[in-house]
Amino acid sequence: MTNLASVRSGPHEIDLRAAASYLAKSTRFVPGQPDMWAFVLFEALVFTGYFGIYMVHRTQNPELFLGSQAQLDLRIGVLNTLLLLVSSWSIARCVRAAREGAYRSALSQAYLTLFFGIAFLTSKVFEWSREIHKGYTLSTNEFFSFYFFLTGIHFLHLLIGFVVLGVVVYQLWSPARRSQLLVETGATYWHTVDFLWVMIFALLYVMR
Amino acid sequence: MSSPLERIAWHWRHNAKLELWIAWWAMVVFYQLYGLLFFVVTRVQPPPPAWWDAPTVVQWFNDNHYGLLVGFGICFLITGMLGAVNALLAYSMRRMSVSPAFAYSYLLIYSLSAVPGMLLTCVALVVGAMRPDRNPELIRWLYDFAFMAFDGTMGVFLIGSLIWMVAILLDKNRVFPKWFAYLNLCNALTEVVVAPAWIFKRGVFAWDGAITWWLDMVVFVIYTAVFITLIRKMILREDFGTSALPDLVEPEAAAAPPGLVRAER
Repeated sequence: MTNLASVRSGPHEIDLRAAASYLAKSTRFVPGQPDMWAFVLFEALVFTGYFGIYMVHRTQNPELFLGSQAQLDLRIGVLNTLLLLVSSWSIARCVRAAREGAYRSALSQAYLTLFFGIAFLTSKVFEWSREIHKGYTLSTNEFFSFYFFLTGIHFLHLLIGFVVLGVVVYQLWSPARRSQLLVETGATYWHTVDFLWVMIFALLYVMR
Repeated sequence: MSSPLERIAWHWRHNAKLELWIAWWAMVVFYQLYGLLFFVVTRVQPPPPAWWDAPTVVQWFNDNHYGLLVGFGICFLITGMLGAVNALLAYSMRRMSVSPAFAYSYLLIYSLSAVPGMLLTCVALVVGAMRPDRNPELIRWLYDFAFMAFDGTMGVFLIGSLIWMVAILLDKNRVFPKWFAYLNLCNALTEVVVAPAWIFKRGVFAWDGAITWWLDMVVFVIYTAVFITLIRKMILREDFGTSALPDLVEPEAAAAPPGLVRAER
């Protein structure tokens, strides 16, 4: 069967029309909807507020924060971070594949992102239950209040991220849809969730 | 040009958007008065600390006695303006290409939210201020009830913001820009942040805390200012059709008050 608009390159089928369409639009200022970047900026500002307040309280009581921080398992924090970084990598590969018109590959990468997201979610629930089992809860002390709050609000962003990934999969699923704009918008959201986690990880687990 | 009174009379008879402008001005006036009454007259915002003991709470009621009675007396008079506000917000969703269910759910949620989110607070604080000789523990009970009703129930508004967000994202009539949908999400997420106020009496997560109240209030003020501005633009663009809203034509709007749009009944 011959299709002039597509060529086979390795395991992936490349849709030349989709690639040409992408190139024609590649003069856009940012990937995805610029509107999503407004969200990224606004959320970054709100989280800057959270982080600033955390830092002020940490400065006022450094012993308590350092002592409580030592109770966290850095290995789980590193695992969390790696899982989200890999998920960001797979969503980036998803965007690239979609740009090239290799939708089957893009869909696989979107599923992979979903898998790493669920792995992060599971490890986070495991970590929380461990901390609670050790007797550390939201009201134990100031550090653990911030710990559960920041990881909790990030967790909520991740749950919304699953809805966003659902939209990306929905777009990639049928040839009738496949909006590159929405795929890139979804990826932008997912990267934001990842970026926020890296900041939270550095503040809660690493900073001494 | 004719006198202002003649212009108003002309608009009253001929401006097709009169009802929309009345509702919009009701919204502007309501939020101005709300800020004045809550922040200046009654001084219940920013909220006093959640950790105060009974004598301090009684002292606070005594210090704000007339402010609470007069301020909330006016508040009960203007609360009805919320009807016009909610109707206008629901109208924006009815103008979209989405199901009317969005507008009706939003209208229902926001109308009910005014009860715990505002009226219960006002009633409890007025009851507390009315008889300063009441048992101090009872006064403190009213104090806790009032501020928990005000701050602790913000989660109710979360669903409303999400409904508006989904409606804007699905809309094909370009009523609002998509970034406003995402701003709704930001607002909804900060409503979640208020939830720890049910647990904490001190610190950043108490009802007067830096995260629970201050940050949340900054986001809410920005959000409110943005939607008031966007609804004004929506009214200027309104053509009473069912398809996409036309782009805004600024010169007319700049040269005349908002109501001066050449649309005949």
